Amino acid sequence: MNSGKVAQEQSNSWNKFVEFINKLGFNPLGLALLIIIAVLPTTTPYFQQEYIVRWMIMGAFLAAQSIAFDFTSGYINIVNFGFAALLGVGAYASGIFANTTPFIAVAPGLNPWITIWLGAIVAGLVGFALGILTLRLRGIFAAVMAWFLGIALMGLVNNWTALTRGPLGMNPRKFLETTNNLPYFYIIFTMMIGIYITLKLVTRSHYGLAFKAIGQNLDAARASGINPIRYLVFNFTLSAFFAGFLGGFYAHYFGSLTPSTLMHTSKTVEILAIAYIGGRGSLWGGIAVAFPFVFLIELLRTNFSDLPGLHLVIYGVLMIVIMIYYPGGLAGFYDWIKSKVQRK
Amino acid sequence: MAKNSSARPLMSRIKDNLPIVVISIFSLILFVAIYIEGGNAQIFNTIITGGMWALLAVGLALVFGVMNIPHFAHGESFMIGAYVAYFTFTPMQEYLYTNPNKFLSAIAPLGAILTAGVAGAILGIIIEQLIFAPLRRRTKKDWIMNAFLLTVGISFVLSNGANLVLGPNFRGISRYWDVKAVEIGGAYMSVDRLIAFAISMVTIGALWFFLRRTRVGRAIRAVSQDETGAQLVGINLNFIQTLTFSLATAMASISGASLLFLFQAYPTVGGTPLYYAWYVVMMAGLGNVVGAIIGGFIVALLQTATQLFVAVSWTTVLPTVVMILVLLIAPSGIFGSEVKGVQEQ
Repeated sequence: MNSGKVAQEQSNSWNKFVEFINKLGFNPLGLALLIIIAVLPTTTPYFQQEYIVRWMIMGAFLAAQSIAFDFTSGYINIVNFGFAALLGVGAYASGIFANTTPFIAVAPGLNPWITIWLGAIVAGLVGFALGILTLRLRGIFAAVMAWFLGIALMGLVNNWTALTRGPLGMNPRKFLETTNNLPYFYIIFTMMIGIYITLKLVTRSHYGLAFKAIGQNLDAARASGINPIRYLVFNFTLSAFFAGFLGGFYAHYFGSLTPSTLMHTSKTVEILAIAYIGGRGSLWGGIAVAFPFVFLIELLRTNFSDLPGLHLVIYGVLMIVIMIYYPGGLAGFYDWIKSKVQRK
Repeated sequence: MAKNSSARPLMSRIKDNLPIVVISIFSLILFVAIYIEGGNAQIFNTIITGGMWALLAVGLALVFGVMNIPHFAHGESFMIGAYVAYFTFTPMQEYLYTNPNKFLSAIAPLGAILTAGVAGAILGIIIEQLIFAPLRRRTKKDWIMNAFLLTVGISFVLSNGANLVLGPNFRGISRYWDVKAVEIGGAYMSVDRLIAFAISMVTIGALWFFLRRTRVGRAIRAVSQDETGAQLVGINLNFIQTLTFSLATAMASISGASLLFLFQAYPTVGGTPLYYAWYVVMMAGLGNVVGAIIGGFIVALLQTATQLFVAVSWTTVLPTVVMILVLLIAPSGIFGSEVKGVQEQ
């Protein structure tokens, strides 16, 4: 009797816990995996090696990018082809505000912890402008417009040498004095979780429904009383804000920025591949794909160093295969398994 | 529209075609400015550049018009053409060094360019059969966007694959024809450039003839107007689509091959041509083949003007700003696009 009551109470509190994490956009399995990822670099000797921690940082960085990317492409169905450029804008803005060695007139030398937010705001403003510009355009036109804008931004950064030093690259100072990578892992991991929860909450609200309605059929959405201007611009602004935020991390972690390594279209395609293999409109799919992928890629790179770019070919082929034969991606596969289990 | 427009006053006709009028005036001003600043040389330069953008853009417009595929891997077809031409031309050149032959050295470059065109056509057939045919069979939903992302994947695979197999080295030739530059109106033009321009014009002309005057060409145009209707009158849709795609790829390869002396062959060479071809097509109107030809020259004007009056490195920035303005005024391009399904997507 008594033990049954305890068990019931326990299952009650378990249900409450599941409900709570569900509100934040997690399920028990996903949360457990995230916790494992979080503790790996401090507990397991293999993962304590510096270069492995760097891979983990890369994984979290790509995952966070794919979340912000999927927020636009998976919901309002407009592929933001200038995503990498927006990230670069955030990185450069943050780097410039934080610069203490004034090779340029504007160098307030603020703390990187503050400038990362300023960079995000600047990128958000550019995203706002992009949202306004693409308002009248649909589907492919909007994607190409974003692509053109990205190219123009990259050209601007390349040419505005007084501010960015152009192709020579600039070296923003780092967040921390330490050469240890572990603190950076926790910074980017927290950023990733924060971005995920924020965007999940937004998409759970009536905003998410409006985004999906706009993505599926703009005219029908407008007819049912959704003001597309507001939602489209909001979506672009938020996505760009987080892209710039991540760019700030890049700037103050790697401590070196060049336009071609940061803002090139191929960088957007990498994120696109991860987000699509993870599953459109899921947000979490990118996280699930990014970590294994980074390890796979780095192992390929170290073992087949005579084959440069092999990992990119694999990216592309996987993306093509998934787009033709399994458009749901990993998230679609998970849902399929879940529905099978529930039916039993 | 066109028939009764002659009855209406001039002002209202101008109002109806505002984007075209604005762009024409703008182009005219640029043309005059380039002539004053750079003289004949820059004008010829513009026309030759315009010819090559037009050839690339026509392929892009054709694929979009007939198959509704926004082709992002067009630059990679350009790259493949450049590589094929390089690998066929250099052995021939070496052979001709040891045993000189005037006739052969005049013909050899054309052979290399033609080989590149054939290779491009084969590549187009492979891509179409391997990627778009399965997608067409599976679903037509969200076709434009899916096709676009697929071509993005193709371009990624092709350019990185070239990097993997051939390495990042630049492979180029200094010139195809070992002849002195020709003087036209006080400006010296290299023979290679003139022939590249001639090739692009001949190819566009041949395509024009093919689309207008032959049975298969008419079938292609029928498919671009109405797929179901075309199928009803007995047109083999699969064949037409494969043919169109391989034609477009072949045209990009030909331009890559004929411009080898200018661009060289390396894995990411397709980026610039792709950007300009897309630029032209977006400005002229997606799927509008005639618009693409005119658009090619307008874009070349913009490009030369930026190089002449600002700096070479700004050529990606300033024309893009113009592009954004054009899209804001005329979201479906200045010449409009009558392709079905574009606006619904």
